[in-house]
Amino acid sequence: MMKKILFAGVLALAVTSAHSAWSGNASKTKPAGGAYKAVSTLVPLPDHIPGIGSLYVDPATLPAGPFAAYDKSGALVSSVYMIPLEDMNAQKKFSGLAVSGADAVSVDMYYNAGHPGVEKPHYHVVIWHVDPATADVK
Amino acid sequence: MIDRRFFTGAGGLWLACAAVSRRARAAARAEIRMRSDVDGAAVWFDPVGLWVEPGTTVRWVIESNVHTVTAYHPDNDGHSLRIPETAQPWDSGYLVNPGDAFEVTLTVPGVYDYYCAPHEEGGMVGRIVVGAPSGPGSRPFEYFKTLDPVPSWLDVPDAAQRNFPSIDRIVAERAVRRH
Repeated sequence: MMKKILFAGVLALAVTSAHSAWSGNASKTKPAGGAYKAVSTLVPLPDHIPGIGSLYVDPATLPAGPFAAYDKSGALVSSVYMIPLEDMNAQKKFSGLAVSGADAVSVDMYYNAGHPGVEKPHYHVVIWHVDPATADVK
Repeated sequence: MIDRRFFTGAGGLWLACAAVSRRARAAARAEIRMRSDVDGAAVWFDPVGLWVEPGTTVRWVIESNVHTVTAYHPDNDGHSLRIPETAQPWDSGYLVNPGDAFEVTLTVPGVYDYYCAPHEEGGMVGRIVVGAPSGPGSRPFEYFKTLDPVPSWLDVPDAAQRNFPSIDRIVAERAVRRH
């Protein structure tokens, strides 16, 4: 009997720990959950951004993110990091950034001139979790 | 004696005046599109430079991305004064959806420089010349640093400075497009 109670306790602790580890990441379906907020509720951006999708971010992680991006079906399709050029030029180190927990399929990196939330010119580092061609983010 | 020809003639004159008036009103409007490529890497006002008559209503319309139309004026977050001293500054606030629009009627002659708040450092600026070019917008970007006392206005970012079309070109071409 004692062994059963101990086993149940260890199992409960394991489940709780796993949940705690996951709670820092974005859900694989919209909404992102945890500390993530819809970007459209934080700054004047539309809920769906053509080419990216619906963005969620933990405001404490701005500007780098990650921003969790969901397609029109509500599926997590990418994690986006936004790195200001001035930080890159200053050789600023970004470490320990969160990850979504989903598999990475491919990576895009491209310049963005700025937008509400990250007004400085910056680079988008997009970790795709699905084939970008199949993501419904048009 | 008032006969039918009077009414016909008077009516014709009235119609002609109305047509001229409509054309005058139509000529007193201009439209500038706010554009972007899909990555948000290239953002611009189209046309970026425009010459208009005093009294023209200029309408800015979102085509893609999120933008503002904001006059270079100390009232707008301490930006330097680059519209005529007696002109009213404006700030559209964020225009988020395609088709969202903002308009201003420009009555005071001179040069009006304006920017998009989230894209100023990326070089999204525009210039309108109303009638004869004059005023702070016709001066070098650093002109205010020679004033006494020197106002604590913001510098125009380098990328923005590079994207203003020259006043001479705007006056010559009436509308200057980015490409």
